[in-house]
Amino acid sequence: MSFGAPSPRSPLVLALIFSSPALPDDLFLDNEPLPQVLTATRLKQSPAAVPGSMTVIDSELINASGARDISELLRLVPGMMVGNISGNQAAVNYHGTNATEARRMQVLIDGRSVYRAGLATVDWSDIPVAMEDIERIEVFRGPNTVSYGANALMAVVNIITRHPADSHGTRMKITRGQRGIDDFYASQGVGWDDGDLRLSLSGQHDDGFDSNRFGGDYRDSRRLNRFNLAVSQTLNDNQSIDWQLNAKDGTNQRPYTYRPVFPGITAAGNNSDVTAKDYAGSLRWNLDINPDHSLYIQGSAQHWDRQQTWRACDAEVSFSPQLSELWQLNPNYTERLARNMDRYAGPGAPAGTAAEQALGNQALEQWRNGARQTLCGDIDQSARESRYDLELQDTLSLSDSLRLVSGMNYRYDRADSETYFNGTLDDTTWRTFGQLEWRATEHWLLQGGAMFEDTQLTGSSLTPRVAVNYLITPRHGLRAVYSEAIRSPDMFENNVNWSYQVKNLRPSAYGQTSARYFVKTRGPGDLEQERMRSRELGYNGYFAGPGLTVDVKLFYDEITGMISEPLRNNQYIASNSNTARFKGTETQLDWRLGSADRLRFTYAYVDAEASNPLDEQLTARNSGSAGWLRDWGLGWNSALFYYGDDALNGYRFERVDTRIAKRIGLGKASLELAGVLQQRLDNQPTTFVDNNYDERRVLYFSAELTF
Amino acid sequence: MPYRLSRKSPSLGRLLAGLCLLLAGLLGCLPTQAADILLTGAEDSPGVQSFANALSEMRPADTVRFQALASLPVPGKLPAGTRLILLDLPSLDWRLQDAQGPATLVLRISRLQAHQRFGTHLPPHLSLLWSDPPLDRQLRLIQLILPQAHRVGVLYDSHSEFLLQELHQAAQPLGLELVSERWDNTSDSRPLQTLLKSSDVLLGLDDPDLYNPKTAKNLLLSSYARQLALIGPNAAFVKAGSLASTYSDQHDWLAVLNELLDRPPSSWPRMLYPQHFKVLSNPQVARSLGIEPMNEASVATQLAEGESRP
Repeated sequence: MSFGAPSPRSPLVLALIFSSPALPDDLFLDNEPLPQVLTATRLKQSPAAVPGSMTVIDSELINASGARDISELLRLVPGMMVGNISGNQAAVNYHGTNATEARRMQVLIDGRSVYRAGLATVDWSDIPVAMEDIERIEVFRGPNTVSYGANALMAVVNIITRHPADSHGTRMKITRGQRGIDDFYASQGVGWDDGDLRLSLSGQHDDGFDSNRFGGDYRDSRRLNRFNLAVSQTLNDNQSIDWQLNAKDGTNQRPYTYRPVFPGITAAGNNSDVTAKDYAGSLRWNLDINPDHSLYIQGSAQHWDRQQTWRACDAEVSFSPQLSELWQLNPNYTERLARNMDRYAGPGAPAGTAAEQALGNQALEQWRNGARQTLCGDIDQSARESRYDLELQDTLSLSDSLRLVSGMNYRYDRADSETYFNGTLDDTTWRTFGQLEWRATEHWLLQGGAMFEDTQLTGSSLTPRVAVNYLITPRHGLRAVYSEAIRSPDMFENNVNWSYQVKNLRPSAYGQTSARYFVKTRGPGDLEQERMRSRELGYNGYFAGPGLTVDVKLFYDEITGMISEPLRNNQYIASNSNTARFKGTETQLDWRLGSADRLRFTYAYVDAEASNPLDEQLTARNSGSAGWLRDWGLGWNSALFYYGDDALNGYRFERVDTRIAKRIGLGKASLELAGVLQQRLDNQPTTFVDNNYDERRVLYFSAELTF
Repeated sequence: MPYRLSRKSPSLGRLLAGLCLLLAGLLGCLPTQAADILLTGAEDSPGVQSFANALSEMRPADTVRFQALASLPVPGKLPAGTRLILLDLPSLDWRLQDAQGPATLVLRISRLQAHQRFGTHLPPHLSLLWSDPPLDRQLRLIQLILPQAHRVGVLYDSHSEFLLQELHQAAQPLGLELVSERWDNTSDSRPLQTLLKSSDVLLGLDDPDLYNPKTAKNLLLSSYARQLALIGPNAAFVKAGSLASTYSDQHDWLAVLNELLDRPPSSWPRMLYPQHFKVLSNPQVARSLGIEPMNEASVATQLAEGESRP
């Protein structure tokens, strides 16, 4: 594909030349050549003209929220369901679906997808970006595969880090508080003639939730360290490069959750902690061919390393080759037998085919002859995933009222896990997309596009998207959007080959210190993409007088071919047989009263209906947030936020967060002292029954020095 | 105070012109005799030629000519009745070497350049016609096109610092709050970031140390990222991505000169902002910021009406 300057003979280019005549030599107009910076290709649509619903969490909100996690910030987005699987695992989904898996949202950091390649999740807590480095988070509420690629099924969270040029100087911050909160951040930004750099180091620690459903200590603390380097370099008037290196290393505690299959086993391990390392590097080359035509090429490499080795105990018969064989024949039969070995030990294997009964009786024989003894061994649930991504995006302003964004993308994903994939599995994805923006008149704006995607493991698909905006004035717009989107099943859902080779067995199993556990699960391999059809009517307006921004939307979304079986290693039978439907309304108000006060309000009403009840779990029918930010002068600032969900996975969530900060000038430096108090208003666990705090409130303080 | 003088001079000029016309009518001192108008600058160029020709067409009774600086004698040797028009800073230096010499109008000089050269003591025998847009006019432009903007952010350095007081005085009656930030080292973006955080709009001072091709990208991209508009500092910046600015082009300056040349040099103001001007806006930037497309001519007319009111 060639992206050279368009031929000068093309009538379009001629039209462009003549529509903006060059000024004659005018002695009084500055003749110093100045680059055209805010070109047609760089400028974005005004909020009222955006072809969909967008929530922007700006740096002021990020700071005022006092949030320590990206997932917590998303509570400010109407319709976003934010829960916790544990203290170090957030579950975030737009509008809902399953509470244990949030796999229908695209999450990007500076254009790089951090959705894990193999295991269909976003590890919010492990994203290698410090809150302090985030400039803003743009959340596109609704499907948009045309702009963001497959998996942008329900929403897109686009995390934009601060440009190195905007991060000059030194920042040092520490945060300490209850629940073991112990964070730090340090960064240094420098600029030179034609480039800028920011280096930041950060770390996070907390104890997670305090107690599980039985009142015992809940093992879900985390400790992590991050390294980030971002460099921006101008090559010449129309070329620049941006590159980043990110690394994160940490441990996430996990409780011991293995439940012995066989009766009479009392020994157990005490944890299944994860060492999580994330590495990423990206390089982007920006080229402005002319003010009306620009492109970029971005390449990135990412690596997720999850080391999870832990000790588990069950009966020796778990490693019986006969039981394994029986599982392959009939998992239901095997499970029934395994859970009731003592009952069948006398009368013999339950009724079944001759082969099933023969194998069952052999296993029972082993059981009677001592295979009921407890063994403990190392389970290795580690996974390494890599992704290489190359994207070209071209923006061409064909005229004042017509703009084309198009591009292509190549992605290579590889997952390596003995347990999950019995080795290595890879996938290749090609994608091409195009979107046309046409300002038909001053009032009517038509935007449409399509994406074609082909993946090696699941095949190809085409998704269209069309939006009409009617601009009453430039600041008040009505919109109607229809879009389709797909989500390709990830490697895990489709191609899992799940079995445990348990090592260091003590005592040995059938004379071996390393043996294969009898349960083995395979993905169907023929899953198709989930498909979303979304319809939306909306209004976005800005009232300059009172400084009020309003966004309202009505939506009706349907997902078909939905894969909603939870990822479990006993009897995971994934299919495209489920459906879900979400309808409702969302409102977002942002009101700046003068220069001192800012009020913010969001509300979402979501009505969910799913063929699989699990997919209705993470939907709060009513949810929202309210915030008040105030600058009191003399360096004092305050923020008050309320967050509420009437029921997430059956549990109510209501919390009020207060942040009070004082900025003290110290010559050229400045010190900010802040205190955050979070007060839960309800007495319920957070999303899951094991997520309990001893106290309903938490307090933490931070001190930040900038110079 | 220079600020007052310059602000009031247009109306004063008009008053004087009116007075002169009245006197002329009464006393028969009608049109001054054909004058010799000498334009000079370091070098000739198509722009200079086109300007000289246009002035000549406008004043058929006068002799208008351009002569390069190198070929001129010291100013004192020029005929006393000559009207001298200087087109650049080298010609100003040449003129300043001699306290004697013909009546002189200095074009294409900014407040900043004059301040760097003369400090607060302006040479007594020159009329300086400012090339940079008057601050008061720029502030009123902000008020007109961004009525909700209250806090006007201004970057300055040691060279442009002297304009701040004047800016404050102009902002006060308009009910605008001025937020200023010193920016001595343009490769350190912290002052810019600080300013963007506490402003509703940015006003660019015509200070080439701050606003130049090297800084344009950072200035415009950073302010745009915060959805803040930049007003000014000049027409070239509007093409680069600033929202709007007032400016005077050759056509405006010809009109200004024509009026001045009609008057006896003794009545020329010591300094003057052109009362003829236009407004340039960047419609694409306006659209992206969700601002109504502006009719440049009508905005200019509204601004001019505001200035002609006493």
